[in-house]
Amino acid sequence: MLPQQLVNGVLLGATYALFALGFTLMFGVLRVINLTYGFYFTAGAFVAWFVTRAGGGLWLALPAAALASGVIAVVVDALLLTRLRRARADELASLMVTLGAVLALYAALAALLGPDIRRLPPAVLGNEAISLDGVRVTQAQLLILGASVVLAGGLVWLVRFSRLGLAIRAVAENPDAAGLMGIDTARVAALVSFVSGTLAGAGGVLIGLAFNAIHPYMGEAMMLRGFVVVILGGLGDIFGALVAGLLLGVIEVLTAGYLASGLKEAVAFAILVLVLWTRPAGLFGRPVARRV
Amino acid sequence: MSVPPWLSDLFWTYQNVVVSLGVNGLLALSMYVVLAAGQLSLGQAAFMGLGAYASALLTLRLHAPFWAVLPAAMLVPVAFALLVGGPTLRLAGVYLAIATIGLGEVLRAVYLNVDALGGALGLSGIPEAAPLWLIYALLAAALLVFWRIGRSRVGRAMEAMRSDETAALAMGVNVRRYRLATLVASAALAGLAGALSAHSTDFIGPNDYGFEPAVSILSFALLGGIGSPIAPVVGAVVLTLLPELMRGFAELRLILNGVVIVLAVLFLPRGLVAWRMRRRAA
Amino acid sequence: MRRRDVTRALAALTVAAALPARAQDAPVRVGLVAILSGPNAAYGTAIRAGVELALDQVNTKGKRIALTVADSGGTKDGAINAARILIGRDKVAAIIGPTLSNEMFAMGPVTNGRGIPTIGTSTTANGITDIGPFIFRTALPEADVIPVTMKKAVSRGVKTIALMYANDDAFSKSGFEVMQSAATAAGLKILTTESFGSKDTDFSAQLTKIKALKPDAVGISALVEPVSGVLLQARQLGFGTETLFIGGNGSNSPKLGQIAGAAADGLIVGSPWFIGKPDPANQAFVAAFRAKYNRDPDQFAAQAYDTLFILAAAIAHAGNADPERIRNGLLRTDYTGVMGPFRFDAKRNPASAEGVVVLEMHGGTFRIAP
Repeated sequence: MLPQQLVNGVLLGATYALFALGFTLMFGVLRVINLTYGFYFTAGAFVAWFVTRAGGGLWLALPAAALASGVIAVVVDALLLTRLRRARADELASLMVTLGAVLALYAALAALLGPDIRRLPPAVLGNEAISLDGVRVTQAQLLILGASVVLAGGLVWLVRFSRLGLAIRAVAENPDAAGLMGIDTARVAALVSFVSGTLAGAGGVLIGLAFNAIHPYMGEAMMLRGFVVVILGGLGDIFGALVAGLLLGVIEVLTAGYLASGLKEAVAFAILVLVLWTRPAGLFGRPVARRV
Repeated sequence: MSVPPWLSDLFWTYQNVVVSLGVNGLLALSMYVVLAAGQLSLGQAAFMGLGAYASALLTLRLHAPFWAVLPAAMLVPVAFALLVGGPTLRLAGVYLAIATIGLGEVLRAVYLNVDALGGALGLSGIPEAAPLWLIYALLAAALLVFWRIGRSRVGRAMEAMRSDETAALAMGVNVRRYRLATLVASAALAGLAGALSAHSTDFIGPNDYGFEPAVSILSFALLGGIGSPIAPVVGAVVLTLLPELMRGFAELRLILNGVVIVLAVLFLPRGLVAWRMRRRAA
Repeated sequence: MRRRDVTRALAALTVAAALPARAQDAPVRVGLVAILSGPNAAYGTAIRAGVELALDQVNTKGKRIALTVADSGGTKDGAINAARILIGRDKVAAIIGPTLSNEMFAMGPVTNGRGIPTIGTSTTANGITDIGPFIFRTALPEADVIPVTMKKAVSRGVKTIALMYANDDAFSKSGFEVMQSAATAAGLKILTTESFGSKDTDFSAQLTKIKALKPDAVGISALVEPVSGVLLQARQLGFGTETLFIGGNGSNSPKLGQIAGAAADGLIVGSPWFIGKPDPANQAFVAAFRAKYNRDPDQFAAQAYDTLFILAAAIAHAGNADPERIRNGLLRTDYTGVMGPFRFDAKRNPASAEGVVVLEMHGGTFRIAP
């Protein structure tokens, strides 16, 4: 039983990590608790649903969903947050505006498409499990695990080693100084929103596929876990989010499997609070939290 | 002198809305007091839940009289605030916000998993013991107290903390003590609101005090503004009435509710009530 | 068209004939409180469809009943405010609803205090009618349905069972408690009890633990969305046909087949109603529902449909819009509808559970369990 539980934990953790990658980037660089992030996740899943219904395969649906979510994220950022950034409004105002936006977006989607759960057509990706020595995993779960590792790696490369990444890190460190140094901060903000949005969209497709359930409020349900992972990993720390996601998944599964299933959530949040009390910069954090 | 039936019907129809207005006004003030000191805490729903559960249990299990229940409903969340306040208040900004969300979720798990607290079934059969006049009298009293404090030295210190904490520290403001004091005041008010609402709706459940109500309470204060204590109360009134006024629009009302918040933040950055209190010269 | 005629004739027979002539000039206003917005809107929409279909048929010979619908949004304050507006402003004589047991625990004391008969069509939790003498329900409580399901399980040779439930909503928790006592009463050995959150999507830890214990059956008490998720993941983790899955009332929804597909095959659930019930009243209802809404009715629509006829009969018995007289009319209900013969017991719950059939998921739809 233990090997299967550990695999369960890693796979669950991979979904948390996949969800949190874009969230931690957006959160860490733009310094905003953007509550609309969960909606990009939902939107990606629905775009994939429409594409596959129209006959497209997963390899068309996935990029289409990622692209669409990225564009939505840029539009939301341009319409709502850019204004506030320019007016130097405090983080409360940004939090509030994304709250209003996400309420309206979820409700609009539910009104348009109905609150029912949908599934991607079974032909998109087989959900039969592969059994290895009695431990069972599905293709979708392996895809999620692979995707979160590859995406985390790609993101770290982008931020650490590309010219663009330098600009992103500069903005994350100090937007004013970055602006004085000739970095187009508005462009960086748009870019970060786009990348985060695509990550959320891709996550929505893969996680929707693994759990076989797509519905308007699916992103909302992930947000609280997203907070936990982002904080445990350290704000803006991509690699930290990956490790923290996996760790959280394993802890939750072991709690449910060996302690009591009712305590699964409580343990996750108790760990969050304890980490914040003792190591506010995250489990792996250096004192300055603002690292990418 | 008797009230005409149409009037008593009208009042009966909107009685729950009137109660909600008062309770949400108190919650908005509980949010205001921490925001006014520059802290983004999302723990008000959790404090409210502690007050509601403590008061309901005292009433249902020990048959305590209502006047004894109310102070207890304030003491329990205050004790909790003092317990977690030390380590939590070292956090700032979004970290504080997320820590308080986490604490709220831990409490929700406790309500769900402890059978003596009713679990998912919650607690029902709570008598409607909270008189309407009391809710509004307490709201008025809280407003008055905050008004006086806002115009005093304490209010100036809080405003200094809000605009620049390091500067406030340099000016000799005991930031730590102020932070703890505002948290305690906030917990007491939210607990009071919890007890009053529990004793006017008969039933409470663990999901009434989770993340969503926490965010609603925050939105009262942000929509109204925090320039004066009256502003968050106005925000609470607007956000409580809005869904009722749009009743019958089904999904549309949820959409409009969100749009109103967005527009208010973008175009009224200081809240609906932008006017700020004047302070006495030092 | 023929089928609709049959329905109308039936409606006329059971209700219209009994209505006094003067009720025709002044329709009696009744209210419906249902979830019409937010994540749980699907339930309220089905209930409204059932009530409105029945209303058309009751009103074929002149307007006898007028209906005002109010959205609760699925929250307790929403339900309380809806009920207060219906009673205080619209002066309804009776209320059908609300949708969730949680909402009833909050709204029931208000309507009961005002002496307005209130009939829950989908509130299955324990203790609903204990709220007060004006609270009725036509929903069969889980306590009546689940023992029938357990009996079926025992007849299939089930000796050990594992239980799973959503621990964060009243309906699921209460259904679980019923399952627990019904399983013990049926002589089953409960190997473990696992819980989850109703918004969870991952149940792998609980299922892996259950699988290692090798129970003959797994009982699940939750709404249809998490139940579907549990079944999908159970199949991925290698649960096969040797394990019998037993659902509570939440599993009794065509959505189970739509969401979980083949993974749901083999699950059994007790139900007061079944779309394929062959009696003419039910067939006429299903045909009329499809004609009006272009989709299949579910259990919630069927119960709501019967409930409006039951209320109409009580209003006919009362002869006017006096809530107290309507309450007495309800207590004397003797009605045969799409769910079979119906009466209230002394505690205003459905008097008998003989109409309960055990259904089995097969190829994405329900059939009578063999």
